[in-house]
Amino acid sequence: MNVVISAVGFGLVTAAILALGAVGFTLQFGVTNVLNLAYTGVLSIAAFVALSLNLAGLNIWWCVLVAGVAGALASLLLNLFVYKPFIRRGTKLFGMVIVSIAVLLILEHGLQAIVGVSFFSFRFDSGGVVRWGALVFTTVQLVTMGLALVAMLLLHIGMRYTRLGKAMRATANDPSLARACGIRTARVVNIAWLASGFLCGVGGVLLFMDTSTFSATTGNEFLIVIIAAAVLGGIGDAYGAVIGALIVGIATEVAAALITPSAKEIVAFAILVLVLIVRPSGLFAKSTSQKQFAK
Amino acid sequence: MNSAFELYMITLLIYFGVDLMACWGLDLQFGTTGVLNFSFIIFQAAGAYTAGILTLGPSSANGAFQTYIGGASLPFPIPILAAMLVGAGLSVVVGLIGIRKLRSDYEAMVMLVISVIATTVATSQVALVNGPAGLSLIPQPLHGAFGLSDISYGWAYVGFVAILCAGVCFMMVRIGKSPLGRALRAVRDNEDAAAALGRNVSRLRLLVFVIGGTVAALSGAVLVEFIGAWAPSGWLYPETFVLFTAVIVGGRANVLGVAIGALIIPVGLQQAVDYLPISIDPLVISSLEWIITGLITMAFIWFRPQGLFPEKKRRFAKPPARDQLSGTHDAIPGEWSHRASKA
Repeated sequence: MNVVISAVGFGLVTAAILALGAVGFTLQFGVTNVLNLAYTGVLSIAAFVALSLNLAGLNIWWCVLVAGVAGALASLLLNLFVYKPFIRRGTKLFGMVIVSIAVLLILEHGLQAIVGVSFFSFRFDSGGVVRWGALVFTTVQLVTMGLALVAMLLLHIGMRYTRLGKAMRATANDPSLARACGIRTARVVNIAWLASGFLCGVGGVLLFMDTSTFSATTGNEFLIVIIAAAVLGGIGDAYGAVIGALIVGIATEVAAALITPSAKEIVAFAILVLVLIVRPSGLFAKSTSQKQFAK
Repeated sequence: MNSAFELYMITLLIYFGVDLMACWGLDLQFGTTGVLNFSFIIFQAAGAYTAGILTLGPSSANGAFQTYIGGASLPFPIPILAAMLVGAGLSVVVGLIGIRKLRSDYEAMVMLVISVIATTVATSQVALVNGPAGLSLIPQPLHGAFGLSDISYGWAYVGFVAILCAGVCFMMVRIGKSPLGRALRAVRDNEDAAAALGRNVSRLRLLVFVIGGTVAALSGAVLVEFIGAWAPSGWLYPETFVLFTAVIVGGRANVLGVAIGALIIPVGLQQAVDYLPISIDPLVISSLEWIITGLITMAFIWFRPQGLFPEKKRRFAKPPARDQLSGTHDAIPGEWSHRASKA
């Protein structure tokens, strides 16, 4: 039983990191209606920018912030110079997915050409160990979970109680109607990309801190897990993404503890396949209808 | 000719033939019917693994350095036929999971995830198909049977692949011209209208999924029987992307176009990059390959999404000659006739 409880503990840490990534992914999709599969390409770039500063001596938590800003900028540039022009040109949904995979490959291999295939690590002090019954956490893991919680809370407050949040929800729901009501959807879309990129960058650094070593391609292995969590909760729904992250995070760690460590990813994917068979749009989805792109 | 050069040409031609069949299969799914099968490469892999397992013999042979399920030493055409059956069966399973009434990019993402699931399962469950190391030392079919030298055997194999390609090409052309082809294009262009006219859309999509999957499995089996090895690193999800690029560049729903695309992208690009000066780091070269492929795809979607050889516009009746439209036209009542004369 203790094994299960400590596995749940690991699962919570994984879920916290996964939640950041999944919410960023699904938030951007909800508002802009673009399936940005190059998400983890941005994640890797932001993480390596942070790494270069970390290796130069910057404290890890400042690096987390830097990664967030880098991710936000990269995402915004991606939208301004790639996605928006293609949408303006009339590219249909499937063309956009091909474009986003092309961008993913370009970013991933461009990064690999620059940094090489070796593995890197962030330099930080993992702090003391905190015990709480059978749960064991390092201080860094606690801070990670705390950061994720704070980010989710801020997002919730922002979306629900600010005018910008309302504008984003309106744009997510029906872009042309939102524009007709006077909302500047172009600006809302840009802000959504910035926010999603920020979450992406922060989540990426926290992830690589948790996995201890990483290379230029580690981020892309993470893409499918992020997609799994986001799809599980219902793509476009940020709260669903959090639930999805919790389910995937805890289930994989418990499976790894109970069955065998190599079963970790299989379990995540088995859950996903089950959801796809039973309810393809996810647990909490609203209808994924043929919405327009938010221009 | 230098025998090393001959061997290079043989291998190149076989890869070209295999990619050709795979691209045609994908074009049937994507170009003609609009099914976004981003897991396409796993069907080629399934065919390759099946043919390999059925040719290698039981896993305890050869000093038991590989582990895999099943294993038999079946004579020549049987492993390939069995591979096609497995490809068809896997297509049914994946098709039933993945083909839903989902928006197109979501469907593409679901297929992508399925592809990664397959790679993960194959890599982590070593007992299945020998994990990351993959299958190797697969004997070539009928190698010693006719007493041919390696080079002659190679050319004979090229001939075999060419015959298969001709068969697949014939099938694709015939489908394109048939009522089935018209139904598939209707499903692609306007699904609701096709359904309203009585076409069973789900069944048609599943059908092309199975046909495409079978052709993919055939291509994989034929490839593995020649090169003798197959590992997960050879069928990661970006490989499907290369095939999609070939179809987009060449021209969807156009048999010749897809053939040209298969020549340019998987064969031409990979080979051209090998001729770059050796002073560039090989890692950078392979990264450059992918970057160029991605850029080419984006460029084509931007400038020429219909591809180099666009789909033929099909006419079903001669358009009426201009002088027939003016004056009385008894099918069109009074106030509409002025519109007919403007047409």
